[in-house]
Amino acid sequence: MIKRRQFLVLGSLIGLSSYIEAKEVSTFESAFKPVEPTIAAVQEHLFPEGSQIPSARFMRVTEFLFETVAHKSYDRDIRAFVIEGARELEKRIKLDKRTQGRFVSLSSSEKEKALRAYEETNYGSNWLSRIMTLTMEGLFCDPIYGSNVKEAGWKALNAYGGFPRPKTRYIEL
Amino acid sequence: MNIYDVVIIGSGASGGAVAYTLCKAGYKVAVLEKGRLITRKEFSKDELAYCRRDLVTPDLWDEYHTIEEKVEGEWVATPTYESGWSFWNGNIVGGSSNFMSGMLHRLHPDDFRLKSKYGEIKGANVVDWPISYADMEPYYALAEELVGISGHYEKHPFEPYRSTANFTQPPTRENAVVKLLDKSCRALDIRPLVTPRAVLSKDKPGRDACYYSNLCGSYGCSSGAKGSSKEALLKPALATGNLTLMSNTHVKSLHTKTKEEVDHAVVVDTITGKEKQIKGKIFVVAAQAHESARLLLNSANADHPKGLGNSSGELGKNLLFSGGGSGQGELHKESLKHIKFEDLMTTGLFVNRSVLDWYFIDHWWDGKFKGGSVEFMFEHQNIITRARKNGYEDSTMVWGKALGERLVKRFTEQKSIRFEIFNDWLPNDNCFVSLDPTHKDKYDMPVGKLRVEGHPQDVKVGNYIAKKCEKILEEMGAKNIYSGVSSAPSQNLVAGGCRFGNDPETSVLNKYCRSHDVENLYVADASFMPTGGSVAYTWTIYANAFRVADHIVKHLDKG
Repeated sequence: MIKRRQFLVLGSLIGLSSYIEAKEVSTFESAFKPVEPTIAAVQEHLFPEGSQIPSARFMRVTEFLFETVAHKSYDRDIRAFVIEGARELEKRIKLDKRTQGRFVSLSSSEKEKALRAYEETNYGSNWLSRIMTLTMEGLFCDPIYGSNVKEAGWKALNAYGGFPRPKTRYIEL
Repeated sequence: MNIYDVVIIGSGASGGAVAYTLCKAGYKVAVLEKGRLITRKEFSKDELAYCRRDLVTPDLWDEYHTIEEKVEGEWVATPTYESGWSFWNGNIVGGSSNFMSGMLHRLHPDDFRLKSKYGEIKGANVVDWPISYADMEPYYALAEELVGISGHYEKHPFEPYRSTANFTQPPTRENAVVKLLDKSCRALDIRPLVTPRAVLSKDKPGRDACYYSNLCGSYGCSSGAKGSSKEALLKPALATGNLTLMSNTHVKSLHTKTKEEVDHAVVVDTITGKEKQIKGKIFVVAAQAHESARLLLNSANADHPKGLGNSSGELGKNLLFSGGGSGQGELHKESLKHIKFEDLMTTGLFVNRSVLDWYFIDHWWDGKFKGGSVEFMFEHQNIITRARKNGYEDSTMVWGKALGERLVKRFTEQKSIRFEIFNDWLPNDNCFVSLDPTHKDKYDMPVGKLRVEGHPQDVKVGNYIAKKCEKILEEMGAKNIYSGVSSAPSQNLVAGGCRFGNDPETSVLNKYCRSHDVENLYVADASFMPTGGSVAYTWTIYANAFRVADHIVKHLDKG
């Protein structure tokens, strides 16, 4: 069995520092804001314009990611990991003499290189996998969550869930 | 203070069956359920809410288990808040029966006498049951009618006998894939049977027939077609006026006044945190096997130092899961045989096929041993889950336009057909629940520590059947066939821990599932099972709870 906390922390350059602050719902927003551009750019790289499925930008998956991770039903360790993984990516890019700067300012091929290099590490591959999952959740969940705009994700796959559809988010009654 | 005739802890399949019977017989019943009520109207097919977040089970940081596994020769317990490996199942009114797929079978008569039939198995604690299939059959029939199990009976050597000719509910509608599946099975001399399913194909009073929503297992039902405890039993029980249903009411412990009698339950309101006592003449524990044993262990007192009703020392021992595994293959548009691709892609309809041919194996070469059952179904139709499975190629992530192409192809040019194997989880000394010595839940009660080792025979049997099932998929023309049989416990199928038997020294409950030690204490859920059989437990849980309830009615009638 994988110990969740272990794989979240092992291999991080930053380690446990500031790990706790991002865990709580109340402090999550302020921790998220600085890394939001990084996360959005990663999502846009995973789901670019001109693909057979709608792009991350069009589908508002970054807003979705923020809201779902901030929600109390989301695992608090992974909440912190989402932030830390983005900081870690930026740190690696900064340390790399060839790139420097921030992830958002890289060219498409530089982004590809940076993410593939990050994927080589256990930590980076776990983080990218988590961002992929969160992005797919946004692309293919019910539009009530604000993403999957106009059911474009479902239309692209010709796949529809079932009825009745939710009238509230997270069964909030 | 109110004294109820019967206080039931848990509102799932067994709690519902006991409540139904007692309320109909005119007794005053309280059902204590720690989860909330979600009504039929409130259920939806929200994948995010029901399948991807813990909204119908406790937050693992508040309530959890510790799971003991052998690591390099030592038993190591890991809390489930660390692993994310939840052992909760649908903690709402009606319990996990709200979320079942409802593919149900009766046990076979030989499941009641496994030891007599197959003898000792080294390292396994196999025993015969104190009752026979004949004792249970009337209650299987009753459950079939009340819960509403649809199906079609066909004679088969391993299909147990029935006291009624056929199901009153015909099978639910089926996808065209069954033509291909039936043809392929027959080509291999395998006899496919129609799966009995706890889903109505026709309206029943107060419940509408299945509306083929495409998402059934893992979701609540919005027509009442699924035979959940809530729809089939608790609602009619409430209609008698004899049932007090208390949701958000968690039971911490049971307390005795004299050595032989439970006096009250200490409960906590899960919203306000306030504690109070609930008094009753009879107490019925129905909290799902691992939690029922934990509650009794947490109720130890001076008269019952090892746990309530645990003079035998057997409480929590011989916990059972389900052995087996699953496999699947892809049916591709360009190579599909016998049926039209658009018919295959029609959503909502069931596959409804089971194979019982390997329930018992007696083969000149393979030998004689207990086998298992197989269910066929489509891959679960959850969109996010299916999409997420396409994220890797040779363990490297796929993204960008390549991922888009891959997803569209996967969803529009093929459909996956799947099988699930159920075989005995042999009871053994390394599968049990006890109290964790250090970890406590948010109510300050020790959590259940589950040691979950399986017997090597379980994996052997699973692999034997998986190979046969892969042949069926091959015959169907499926591509990329794979299967996996593992010794990991099925956290949604749990039984045992309070064995029933005639000898108070080797069992916790008597043959009516009453505690040997405490006269007004019953355990009605799957805890009683000394061996698990090779099908999902649900039909047997319903049937046995009706049997136990009949006995409780007699107990109360006598005064």
